[in-house]
Amino acid sequence: MKKIRKRSFIVLLMTIAFFAGLVYHTVNIYINAKEWVMKPQNLHLTAAGNLDHGGKILDINNVVLAQSIDGERIYNDDELVRKACLHVVGDDKNSNIFNCIQEIYRADLIGYDFTFGLGMPKDLRKGKDIRLTIDSNLQKAALTALGDKKGAVIFYNYKTGAVACMVSTPTYDPQNRPNDLESNEAYEGVYLNRALWGQYTPGSTFKLVTAAAGLENIRDIENKVLQCKGADIIGNEAITCEFSMGTVNMRDAVCYSCNIYFGHLATELGKARMFKQAEKMGFNSRIEFDGMESAKSVYDVSEADVNDFAWSGVGQYNTLETPINVAMISAAIANGGIPVTPYIVQSITDNDFEHSSSFGNAIMSAETAEKLSDYMDYAVENNYGKYRFSSRFDVCAKTGTAEVSEDGQDAHAWITGFCKDEDFPYAFAVVVEHGGSGYDNAIPVAAAVLSAAEETLDSGMTYK
Amino acid sequence: MEFWELVAFTLRIAAPILAFIILSVCFWSLNDGRRTDHALVVLQDDNTGKIYPVTFWENLIGRSDKADICVENDMTISREHAVLLRRDTGWFVTDIGSKAGVYVNEKKIKGRCMVYIGDKISLGNTSLILRRVDETKESSRTRVSGTAVKKSVSGTFLLALITFYIIMISTEAMIYVRDILYLIPVALFVAVMWIFHKFSDRFMKIKHFELESIAFLLTGTGIVMCNTYSSRLGYMQLIATIIGLCIFSFIVWFIKVPDRVIYWRLIMSVFAILMLGAAAVFGREVNGASNWVFIGPFSFQPSEFAKVAYIFIGAGTLDQLQKLQNLLGFIIVTAICILILGYISDFGSALIFFVAFIIISYLRSGDMRKIMTIGAVAIIGAFFILTLKPYVAERFQVIGHIWEYSDSLGYQQTNTLVCSASGGLFGLGTGNGNLRYVMASESDLVFGAISEEMGLISALMLAVTIGGFMIYARAVIIKSRSVFYSMAACSAGGLLVFQAALHIFGILGMLPLTGVTLPFVSYGGSSMMACWGLLAFIKSADERTYYKKSTAEIPKKGEVLI
Repeated sequence: MKKIRKRSFIVLLMTIAFFAGLVYHTVNIYINAKEWVMKPQNLHLTAAGNLDHGGKILDINNVVLAQSIDGERIYNDDELVRKACLHVVGDDKNSNIFNCIQEIYRADLIGYDFTFGLGMPKDLRKGKDIRLTIDSNLQKAALTALGDKKGAVIFYNYKTGAVACMVSTPTYDPQNRPNDLESNEAYEGVYLNRALWGQYTPGSTFKLVTAAAGLENIRDIENKVLQCKGADIIGNEAITCEFSMGTVNMRDAVCYSCNIYFGHLATELGKARMFKQAEKMGFNSRIEFDGMESAKSVYDVSEADVNDFAWSGVGQYNTLETPINVAMISAAIANGGIPVTPYIVQSITDNDFEHSSSFGNAIMSAETAEKLSDYMDYAVENNYGKYRFSSRFDVCAKTGTAEVSEDGQDAHAWITGFCKDEDFPYAFAVVVEHGGSGYDNAIPVAAAVLSAAEETLDSGMTYK
Repeated sequence: MEFWELVAFTLRIAAPILAFIILSVCFWSLNDGRRTDHALVVLQDDNTGKIYPVTFWENLIGRSDKADICVENDMTISREHAVLLRRDTGWFVTDIGSKAGVYVNEKKIKGRCMVYIGDKISLGNTSLILRRVDETKESSRTRVSGTAVKKSVSGTFLLALITFYIIMISTEAMIYVRDILYLIPVALFVAVMWIFHKFSDRFMKIKHFELESIAFLLTGTGIVMCNTYSSRLGYMQLIATIIGLCIFSFIVWFIKVPDRVIYWRLIMSVFAILMLGAAAVFGREVNGASNWVFIGPFSFQPSEFAKVAYIFIGAGTLDQLQKLQNLLGFIIVTAICILILGYISDFGSALIFFVAFIIISYLRSGDMRKIMTIGAVAIIGAFFILTLKPYVAERFQVIGHIWEYSDSLGYQQTNTLVCSASGGLFGLGTGNGNLRYVMASESDLVFGAISEEMGLISALMLAVTIGGFMIYARAVIIKSRSVFYSMAACSAGGLLVFQAALHIFGILGMLPLTGVTLPFVSYGGSSMMACWGLLAFIKSADERTYYKKSTAEIPKKGEVLI
């Protein structure tokens, strides 16, 4: 009997291991429950109507963007604000709008806690309020400026990461949902937040990447010059400029957007170094912040011939970039080569959650950033015209006019840049789909948002 | 609706508290009612007068310090010399192959020999005289011999509490299911519970009911749960429970005399192999494994019944085990069983059999090295299987990466985690969950479904309770009436715990998902019957199960006990 008792420790050991497993599970679920609850496969959250008793969503100035009153989700009073914030806030009755605050923070909004899970009766549950970094005034200005055009605008603070403006069009009013969302061509891709998920040919905005690669890899490249005759043969085919620019160095090439210069620069750098720089600057990976994520920007020259590769250096060929990625490169240039991670949730009530900034690895050296910043400044002074952006802010920028292969379609109009001003340290990117030239059609959109920011500053409020 | 929602919410919080109280009372009563460590009889050395207290029903006598009665300083005694056993009819001594032999009253014995108070048992140069405890000086220190049984918590009281608990959880479920007919299977289950209690009290003469109460609580929770899927499942589970109770009672009665069981071993071996063979020949494939046999409208899993038979095969009384040291026959039966299970792709059951084999063979031989060797061979075999059946290997790949496979091989696991997290500590309400819409969740994912709908506390409590069976089995084995019961209880408990672990950690993505049931709780007739069958072994390990007043008496020479 004693022997059996002694040997039976083997089953006791097994039972203890079993209990240890249960403890592990309990700790695991305690730590991760919130993340799991918010998984898209959780039908308890995705089922419509759960935000009937949810908390508020506020903008940076505590303007209510969405709230629940008497079991109904009500959005901001102003139709323009509702439309402008649709892709950030989301629509509780339409789960097609994805990767938005109401989806990502649903657990907080409906008052999930570990003890009661989602099991607390709705009347007893208290949702948390979420304050965003978004400024509804800028949102409105951006939407108005985009008008009927499809496109995206993103403005974010290159020192702290706070996203003040993120608008995507087409959009609709979540308070008065149109019935023809699926059928009307004007609403094509309406569910997509283009600022994060739109993948566009970057055109000349990509020259910042090629220029950075050149400055990082080839000594004294900025002083080398090239004769631009309006067209040149690289590989078997031509690479062309809008006009013949004569003798150009890198600064001129950025300012007047010389394709031939950057085609040759890319060729000189070679695929490996270009690819490395592009990956460093966010290509082929997602940008993620506060549960939001972007599509991947694409730079893939593995099968490009010599001419294709030269075109890739000016942001054509098969290169694709998301607006957030474009803005992120400007933000890094403005911040000495170090990109700040964007954020959109400023605080969550009763959660003691307050955002703290975080930074990524340097995507270029401080000297390179300094030089690129100078070139963008030069481009605004000498080509785009300072007055066209703002009378107050000191803007550095780079336009882009991305040729798209579809026949008869206008090019995508791009502008990216940043304000050097201490009171508005924001980087931005604007894309207008088939908007034509960046110079003519993207700059006014950025200017409209900047002027709204001016008004805000004039009224005594500040941007963090 | 809002009022009822509030009622349901309150019930959800109250029910686990009540369940906790019931389980605590049961386990406390089980522990408290155990016999104290006093001697049953004593052996007195004829020459020196040294007293050896005999505390167990089966005692190994020998020179080894691992023997229950260790006679030192006599080199003529073998390390393991004889076994002194207590049976309902009295005390017996058996020679287990000693060199010097065993003599009772100067006569050499063969096989078992009954001994009376005052008889002299001679082993080598030492003679021991069997005495009552109160005839010796020991009596001043120990209480009067016999099996002192404390009064346990009354079964009626426990059942009343469980009935109340089931009313609570089924009322809560009613609020979401909204079908009055739903209550019928649950009501019938409560009736079955009370009838069984009367039956076991009246006819089986079992006076304590804690273990059955605990199992009823698990079974009841399971029935309320799967009944909300559809009352067809509720009725099926009810029928399975009734058959399970019959099997339970039968086994408790059948193994009352452990010496009798030994002759059934061969038949049990044949039964187990035939059962599994039937699955291999007539088995129909359901969810990957062809372990289902259909007879008319009924379907069952033969491997579940083979598990119960397997315990019979492995266990034995102390004197038998000492004589049959080698495990060869047992290993052969095990190997056949596991091979058949591998053939029909029932890897969950194969794993359970293997673990049961490890437990039983270790309990029998105590030889860790031998077990390790067998384990190594098994692992090589397992790798061989993994190359033959790539889909089994896939299940291992998913471990630790379930989120990457959340729409394929990790679908059930990730849904379990997501739903459990949504349920919180008290659940979303029985019938209000989403995990139930995942295929086979009523059996394979029931831990997750309960976690989601009744709350993490309830789910954990059920799991801990199954572990509690094992802890209890281990606590009583040393005082059980035979090594047979100790071994059977340990292996049955180990089986239940391992199966629970395979179920729970499988669906949580910590072990491969094998689709085994959670004992007593999952939907599944064969599983339910087998669980009650296994519980019978644990029940019989407690000497109180077979307690009769007469056993307290030990006959003097010439007396016979009935």
